[in-house]
Amino acid sequence: MERDELLQAILDSCNDEIYPMPFLSEYTIMECLSDRNGISTFLVADREGTSFVAKCYENDVYTVSDSEEIRNSLSHDGLPKYRESFRNENMTVIVREYIEGIPLSRYAADNQLSEKEIIDFCVGLCDILAYLHHREAPVIHRDIKPQNIIVRPDKSLVLIDFDIARIYRSEKDTDTVFFGTLAYAPPEQYGFSQTDARTDIYSLGILLRFLLTGSTRENKNVKVYKPLARIIEKCTAFSPKERFSDVDQVKKALLAANPRTQRIRKILMGVCVAGAAALLVFAGVKIYQAVTWTPFSEDAIPAYASDEERVADAVSLMKEKYGTTLFDDPGKTATIGNLRAVLIEVYGLDRDYVYGFNEDRPQESDEFFLPWGYDDDQLMDRDTCAYAAVKAYDPERVADWSSVKDDNGFYPGLRVAMAFAEETGILTGANKPKDITVGDMALIFANADRVFSAAE
Amino acid sequence: MENRTTPVTTQELWAKLFLSPSVEEYLAENGDACSLPTFSEYITALANLKGEKPVQIIKRGDIEASYGHRLFTGARTPSRDTVLQMAFGLELGTDETQQLLKVAHASPLHPKVKRDAVIAFCLHRHYSLAEAQAALFENGLPVLGGASRGKR
Repeated sequence: MERDELLQAILDSCNDEIYPMPFLSEYTIMECLSDRNGISTFLVADREGTSFVAKCYENDVYTVSDSEEIRNSLSHDGLPKYRESFRNENMTVIVREYIEGIPLSRYAADNQLSEKEIIDFCVGLCDILAYLHHREAPVIHRDIKPQNIIVRPDKSLVLIDFDIARIYRSEKDTDTVFFGTLAYAPPEQYGFSQTDARTDIYSLGILLRFLLTGSTRENKNVKVYKPLARIIEKCTAFSPKERFSDVDQVKKALLAANPRTQRIRKILMGVCVAGAAALLVFAGVKIYQAVTWTPFSEDAIPAYASDEERVADAVSLMKEKYGTTLFDDPGKTATIGNLRAVLIEVYGLDRDYVYGFNEDRPQESDEFFLPWGYDDDQLMDRDTCAYAAVKAYDPERVADWSSVKDDNGFYPGLRVAMAFAEETGILTGANKPKDITVGDMALIFANADRVFSAAE
Repeated sequence: MENRTTPVTTQELWAKLFLSPSVEEYLAENGDACSLPTFSEYITALANLKGEKPVQIIKRGDIEASYGHRLFTGARTPSRDTVLQMAFGLELGTDETQQLLKVAHASPLHPKVKRDAVIAFCLHRHYSLAEAQAALFENGLPVLGGASRGKR
């Protein structure tokens, strides 16, 4: 029958004889996964129908002894498990585990990978490469590309295709045969020098770029997350010497570049900056305080239930401390004469200093204690008393007008004294501005005494 | 993975596809003529081109009915064998089948694979699926849909 003849012709053309017979009797070839450079990769099924991958190397094109050595000794979750090998005069066949999953090339095309996922993938790949590179006889894969990386359903990676992986022999100067995939192959793989672990690191850099930008070539228009761009740059340096020397370094850099790590780093940096700022502010405040330090604290003045008690306390303080009887009649309205008496008797000021005044025009001066030439029977006001009390304890303070911002012509020293008295609590309990009593006067002086005593 | 495509036939097929309303719709929605259609979009377009309902195609491809409909809606991803059964269901030639396999991200029919060669021959001769299965069986090769599923 014509139709059977044609079918037979087609079947004959398949030329199965080139494969080792035991291989053909054990496995059925189901699909051709790839066919190039004298290497055919088939999906095969054993008698139970379980899938495996068979790599068939034409003996005159490729020596597979190295690969077999490698395959027999390698055992890693990220590498397909070796099953068995067959050999005849034409062909060497290596059967390995079939990895259920999707090539990273397609996985990346179908899924919008985040930077974190890309980092996770590359870190996973670093782990596999570390296993290969750190062996006693390092194995360089030399064909790392997304097509050779299978993403399992659980998203773990498997590195397949050891076509050109070979044990690194330091005595070999150059690799003579070029395999590898052009876009992912570093310059030395074109024959510049022997390939070592940094060959895979180069390809890893290109892979990282591909996953991030969709292209193996550098494209200035595509913005790459900076920490990752730096890793790509270092992985793909022309000279192997300028690359990362070990995949562990790449892994470390990748983990550090993780946006989350970076975020934590930024937070930590922020904390540090904030801490430094806080420290600066703290130090600034301390310096400011040291420069503008004032020994006067508000708690120098004790708390009292009533003004009467406060006055009584003030009178007794002045009496006990200075042995004066000038405040013995606290209810009496005070006069300038009372004040002058206190200044002379209690504070030992010179009579002329207390009574003298500038006749041309009233003004504060070092020459005279009071700026005005009042009569002794003139009634006292609170501000005058406060000025006198501050000046009695600290003449310098009322002479330094630097803190007075405006100069309205009205006794700057008085205003300085009032501000100081207000601030330190010298006016505590002195609620009446005008026509104050002897008790109020005692209060102001006693407060001033406490404030200045506490500051010493 | 090497894809053995046949430009002329593929172009013709695409030319036909572009005329079909469903594909026009697809392109209007997606606006990217360069990207491959999905498997479900592609078989839907081919069914429309044939003027047939999915049920007829699924039956001809000997695909389990509910599974077949899920392939048309895109709810399931087919194995390579199922793609080939679908090719028989759609009564495609070898070139169109290669295109269908490409769309399904499955390896193309390869002359080095005996089973593929038999399948390609049957497609070329427009055998029914049953005839193709018989040819496979007679030659000691796994029938379609009978072996373990392997994609990639």
